[in-house]
Amino acid sequence: MDNLSEMLKGILEGIVLEIISRGEIYGYEITKKLHALGFQGIAEATVYALLLRLEKNKLVHITKKPSDMGPPRKFYTLNERGFEELAAFWAKWDFLSERIHLLRTNGGEKNV
Amino acid sequence: MFSHEMKEKIKQFAKEQAPYYLEEAEMTYMEKLRRKTGETKSKLMAKFAKFKSRSETAMEAENDMILYMSDYMKDLMEQGLSEQEAFERAKEELKFRSETTKSADLQERIVAHYHHMDIADYEAIGLFYGAFVFLGLSIGALVGFIGSGGWEMFLSGGWIRTLIGAIVGFLIGTGLGLLSNAIIVLKRKK
Repeated sequence: MDNLSEMLKGILEGIVLEIISRGEIYGYEITKKLHALGFQGIAEATVYALLLRLEKNKLVHITKKPSDMGPPRKFYTLNERGFEELAAFWAKWDFLSERIHLLRTNGGEKNV
Repeated sequence: MFSHEMKEKIKQFAKEQAPYYLEEAEMTYMEKLRRKTGETKSKLMAKFAKFKSRSETAMEAENDMILYMSDYMKDLMEQGLSEQEAFERAKEELKFRSETTKSADLQERIVAHYHHMDIADYEAIGLFYGAFVFLGLSIGALVGFIGSGGWEMFLSGGWIRTLIGAIVGFLIGTGLGLLSNAIIVLKRKK
């Protein structure tokens, strides 16, 4: 779908956390997963910057493994704080999607 | 997979771009300085070469970018692009969008400007302008009026000199207003 980037800005971190939570994964592999999910419009730089942020905020555990390019490749898994952040993300998402659904179906009225 | 030359190009690109992605908080003082001063980067680097200027985090970000870019390029090459084409595309995609930094810097300057702005200064500037313009207009018109021969001559052509005097007075007044503005600004800079 086109022009998703603005809407994705607030939730991309949650999406990436969910991808990482499924098992050890490296940077570009995450981008490929996102593309496979249909998020084609996400710029490569966005994911790179996001991974730096996740690392800075200590949401991921990193394992370095040798690579054929020289520097070691980083593999990401979620740490405890990462899982907490992911749970918070889904809680917010559930709240938001429920309200949006309510708005769409009943114009925001709960008991209609 | 990549030629030696291409590996060097990727490394160079990552070295240039990766620091921009690091948030300010993670940068060493030198890195922040370098980012702020852009053009004088080489001079600064030469001057402070003896100090440790690249944090471990920055080097890690650089390595991450090398691998990330390589993976992306491999992906593009599998899709049929040549090595050079893949590099150009990856460079374009991964180049730091400096607009964010620029707008952040501009915002910082605007905030600083309004933070340090003294209302009294602006009031003084306005009063200077007003006073000089009124004085200029009055003196110019009066000189023109008297110089043209007073009331007797005013209706028979003297009004033109009065008008010219008023215009010249207005311009002189505005000029003096600008001068007072400049003096206030220069005083504030000290």
